[in-house]
Amino acid sequence: MPKITFIEADGNRVETMAQAGNSLMQTAVNAGIAAIAAECGGVCACGTCHCHIEPDWFGRLVPPAVDEADMLEFVIDPDEHSRLSCQIKITDDLDGLIVYVPESQT
Amino acid sequence: MSDHLDSAIIFEPLSDAFAQDPYPTYAAMRAQDTPYYYEDADTWMLTRIADVEAVALDPTMLRSVSHLMNEQECIDLKKKMNWHDMPHHERFVQFSMLDSEGDVHTRLRKMVFREFTPAAINKHRQAIEIIVDRLLDALMDRPEIDFVEDFASHVPGHVIGHVLGVPENDRPQLRIWSEDIVQFWNIGRTEDDKRLAESATTEFYHYLQSLLAERQKAPKDDLLTRLLAEKNAGNMNEDELVSTTMLILKAGHGSTIDVLCSGMHTLLKFPDQHKRLRETPSLLKTGIQEMFRFESPLPYFHRFATQDTVVAGRKFKSGTRFGLLYGAANRDPARFENPDEFDVARSPNRHIAFGGGTHFCLGNHLARLDMDVIFTRLHERFRSLSLIDESPKYKNGLSVRGPESLRVAWTPA
Repeated sequence: MPKITFIEADGNRVETMAQAGNSLMQTAVNAGIAAIAAECGGVCACGTCHCHIEPDWFGRLVPPAVDEADMLEFVIDPDEHSRLSCQIKITDDLDGLIVYVPESQT
Repeated sequence: MSDHLDSAIIFEPLSDAFAQDPYPTYAAMRAQDTPYYYEDADTWMLTRIADVEAVALDPTMLRSVSHLMNEQECIDLKKKMNWHDMPHHERFVQFSMLDSEGDVHTRLRKMVFREFTPAAINKHRQAIEIIVDRLLDALMDRPEIDFVEDFASHVPGHVIGHVLGVPENDRPQLRIWSEDIVQFWNIGRTEDDKRLAESATTEFYHYLQSLLAERQKAPKDDLLTRLLAEKNAGNMNEDELVSTTMLILKAGHGSTIDVLCSGMHTLLKFPDQHKRLRETPSLLKTGIQEMFRFESPLPYFHRFATQDTVVAGRKFKSGTRFGLLYGAANRDPARFENPDEFDVARSPNRHIAFGGGTHFCLGNHLARLDMDVIFTRLHERFRSLSLIDESPKYKNGLSVRGPESLRVAWTPA
């Protein structure tokens, strides 16, 4: 089980053991990260599961597909390490991943 | 068929009793081990949030299966649905982004999504404040109003008109067209309802044609101009442009009015929560989210299974119709602690009032902004707000949820 660390906007760290095969969004929801709203449920249709990947980890992820890249244009305060957590599938080699959660998605 | 009969539950979704309080019925349905089979509509009703979400997110569960039908099946469907003799309604209302799937849906949704993101919507705040203030200005000297008819029912037509780029003087007509177009779905629909729906669709179509012709000559900074540019670029055809515009109007109209009014009613029913919201305006965001959960304005949608499937642990055949009872799912104690309590600070509040999956409500941020502006202004401008009728009548039917009228007494600040 890979360990994922979410760092919330107020600096609070939440460490959780993720289930391989789940999405990063589902992992955040299961860990009680309220700011990952994920309103559409994980189909890249709402842009409310935006997060920032720790820079060292960013390049190790499978790059975003076209749909995700399009949607990232519309999230609040994106940066070069922005991703939609619903589009990142948890695998064992993501053990140690650090994710910064924005204060709000809207 | 015996396992289809759920004799312990009285499910009469058209009754007055259900309209006044559907939640005990939903709770009884949720407590059953299997989904409830509603024979009148040949539909399996899902009430647990896990089941509702699973079907809403399942890409093999579709709102419309007409694209899988042959020509004769399409003709039969039109006759069965009774819009075979309504050419404009069929062309622009029955076929829209909402009832499209796959590549067509993705293409259309992408073109309008950018207009409805939080950042894009927030740019309309000042215009909405002006609209709301003008409506309130005209009512300030009255000691009481019908919050539905005198106020809320005017808001979405003006706001959507502003977003689309409809001239101010024509915006009151949008409310009339929107209400007439949806007469088609009236319970106990008559031939007059159908005629009204068809003529309103035709009039709106002709009106849009004239506006689009103006935009062709003189583009503006509005949604109509941008949609026209998409059409001119070959990204959508004229019918798609018109049906998308009509969908934006009708989808954002009645449901916004309903949730504004049920939200107002709920706040006034729970004075301790109302006081909390007044004293801590920063709770408005979670408070609005809770209004959508507590009285979901569109409590029912459907999906068809397009292959044999398992839902709620039970096998179903391809072609089965499922009812997604969002209003029931949003009171599911498996997700929400004390689900029948209204809590303006509830967080997280992962309700499904805006649906889920690819058809997730496009206009949700606009509806939330309307409510944000309205409740902020009401609290600034009125010292007290109270219910005159403690039990306002709610609309009949499974697909809508909102009071028919809401008499409110108010005292200016």
